[in-house]
Amino acid sequence: MLQYILKRFLLSLPALWLLVTLVFLLSRLLTGTPGAEQILQENGGYYSKGSAAGREQAYKSYLERTGQNLPLFYFSVKASPEPDTLHLVYPESHRAFLKKLYWQYGNAQLVNQYYASIRSLEHALSPTQESEARLYFDILYRTTSPESINLAIAQLPQLNFGNTTHTNELRAAAALLLENQQAFAYLVPFWRWHGSNNQYHIWFTNVLQGNLGVSLRDGRPVSTILYGAVANTWWHILISIVLAFAISFKLGMLLVMPQSIKLRKVVLPTLFIIDSIPLFLLALLLLVLLATPSFLQLFPVYGMGYYIAAGGTWLQRLSIYAQYMALPVVCLVLGNIPYLTSLIYRSFSEESKKDYARTAKAKGMSPRQVIRTQLLRNTLLPAITVLSETLPALVAGAVIVETIFAIPGMGRLMVEAVLARDYPVIIAVVMLVAAFRAVSYLLADVCYSLADPRIKHAAS
Amino acid sequence: MIQLRKDLMQLWHQQLTFKIAASYIGILLLLIVALPILPVTYSPNELDLQHTFAKPFTSGSGAPHWLGTDVLGRDVWVNILYGARSAFLISFPVMLFSTGLGLVLGISAGYFGNTGLKVSRAAIGVILLALLCIAYYGLYLPLSLVETGLPLKYTWYSLLVLLVLLLLLYKVALPLLKKWRFAATRFNLPLDYLVLRLTEAFTSVPRLLLILALVSFLQPSVLLLSGIFAATFWTSTARLARAETLKIKQLPYFEAAHSLGARRMRLLTKHALPNMLGPIIVTFTFSIAGLLALESTLSFLGIGVPGTFVSWGRTIAGIRSNTAAWWLVVFPGAALATTVWALQTISYHLLNHFESKR
Repeated sequence: MLQYILKRFLLSLPALWLLVTLVFLLSRLLTGTPGAEQILQENGGYYSKGSAAGREQAYKSYLERTGQNLPLFYFSVKASPEPDTLHLVYPESHRAFLKKLYWQYGNAQLVNQYYASIRSLEHALSPTQESEARLYFDILYRTTSPESINLAIAQLPQLNFGNTTHTNELRAAAALLLENQQAFAYLVPFWRWHGSNNQYHIWFTNVLQGNLGVSLRDGRPVSTILYGAVANTWWHILISIVLAFAISFKLGMLLVMPQSIKLRKVVLPTLFIIDSIPLFLLALLLLVLLATPSFLQLFPVYGMGYYIAAGGTWLQRLSIYAQYMALPVVCLVLGNIPYLTSLIYRSFSEESKKDYARTAKAKGMSPRQVIRTQLLRNTLLPAITVLSETLPALVAGAVIVETIFAIPGMGRLMVEAVLARDYPVIIAVVMLVAAFRAVSYLLADVCYSLADPRIKHAAS
Repeated sequence: MIQLRKDLMQLWHQQLTFKIAASYIGILLLLIVALPILPVTYSPNELDLQHTFAKPFTSGSGAPHWLGTDVLGRDVWVNILYGARSAFLISFPVMLFSTGLGLVLGISAGYFGNTGLKVSRAAIGVILLALLCIAYYGLYLPLSLVETGLPLKYTWYSLLVLLVLLLLLYKVALPLLKKWRFAATRFNLPLDYLVLRLTEAFTSVPRLLLILALVSFLQPSVLLLSGIFAATFWTSTARLARAETLKIKQLPYFEAAHSLGARRMRLLTKHALPNMLGPIIVTFTFSIAGLLALESTLSFLGIGVPGTFVSWGRTIAGIRSNTAAWWLVVFPGAALATTVWALQTISYHLLNHFESKR
């Protein structure tokens, strides 16, 4: 049995690895340099007083600190004129400008020379000259087509910078660039091998060692943030799953009794209707009806009540927590009961048609006894399958419920991370939930063999 | 197809709830189609700042607000109508696309299994090369060109190169490679294994979480969101199609068609596909209900869709700024829940019907 479980566990690893790798690579490929704009914006007040050079320095040190100056993967394939260090160029507008030049002219060296000569001319100007020429440089940093570059260069003498060496240099660089245009160079791919010193390798080895990185928002380690959030979510999920299963089994047993035809006619359609209300709507309805002053205020609205519950005995604390947890748990339970109950009811009614159930009835057992002693164990099997599906699904439910009731748990963490584009946290949450699901599948396997010894023999 | 229509007619006459649900969906679709000619007095994003949080049946600056307004004075009734339109405009194309994808993957996995498809090493090599070419010339170059804003002719060049390369690979490289003994050796492609692992990777995280993660990497856009939906919704159809194909493969009529020498394509489209149409339709309607709920949830959270995107979820989200405005939850919520209910009812009855026929 242990061997079988181990094998199942190892088999689930490739899919897990594939998913996590995909999410990591996508997060970097699609977003450029995540977090950079936030860092610079947050410190905008400080840096805007400083020079452009100071800002560039901050950007570079940010890249180095987060390891984003390294290549993304073991190898990269790029259009041949685009150099590998493009993402190190600081103002984003310059990056786009350079990229356009590379692709259009196909010669990285000449483009770099042209760009460097613009910059050296800009730096050589005195402050008064610079403010006068601001508009001209803004245009220069945007023009890429040959005609408009020629036009812009032709305007140089009229501006009277008085700095002939730099002007001449720029003119020569522009002429060289325009002459040696290789317009189709971008069609040739260029393969680069980076070795193990890349972002993915470092991230992955860190993850294997249990280091999930640092949040881009507040610089705290992701594992610390996750730990606090999981502790909250865990209790909600655990309580709701226990409640949902208990209620569903009780309901299923009630419904399968021969005398409860009327009950069936009421309960099954009701469950069907509850099932068609999306979870966020259900949560909102409960919130509006039961926790706002405009209607009935039976429950506290938001949060977990940590501040109120700081003192007091554990019983007092528990009662306060219970008030705060009541509505979220009710939502999660209501969201899961319809499916669970109908499944359990169906498997009960299927089992009750079988021979062994009839035999038990013929021996004189009451319907209740037949259900408890004979049918229950056999209906456990499908319920276990659903359990392994429901546990991870509850995390998705927690995303919605926690956002609405403002509970500082995993779901809300995910939503906040998504809104703030905090990639290390997003990846960590995805990874954690995927691992959680793998574990819950294993758990289901163990439960299977406990509920039905035949499976144990078949596996071993 | 004729049989399917007969089944639907029979259900229509026998089941009252099916009748109600189907006519509700029919009326809703009719409203959506007729929306441009309906006499609605406001546009869904029109602000009526004098009448914010107006209660139902109060007068507005133009026509009365029948179902009230939200925080910016947008008319709730108009938003419900247009929200229905955007919900179906997203979910139908997405489900059509992902059902197609799921069918192709599922049927081929079920039909070929791990040993049914023999490919030469040359073909595998050429296919991989072709995929690389498509990724570079068909995806990376055009996307980067759009990003840099270079003229369109650059994109055309890249697509032209792609076409030439693909032709070369197929017409020249493949026949040449096949002359080489090593490359011409055929081996079994474990298609079933590959498809199963792929489905597993996509389902190893709850769908909402996966979509949240993917959405966060992109700019808010309806088109990109639909793409993400399509990329995550094919798994259920694929699983179902695989299981059905495995079942159908062993039925006598299928074996008879096989032994009569029917072509593979004909076997799959004329013999396998019609027989699994029922369950596929059931999943289709059921998944549409799921998509509607998911789309509203995302708009409610304000993730992945631009703020101008009209949706039931967006209107419902207005309750967060004023918990006394019950009409923001009740009316769009009722519309959402009823639509989901109707779709689920239809798929439930269809499922029962198809199962009882077996």
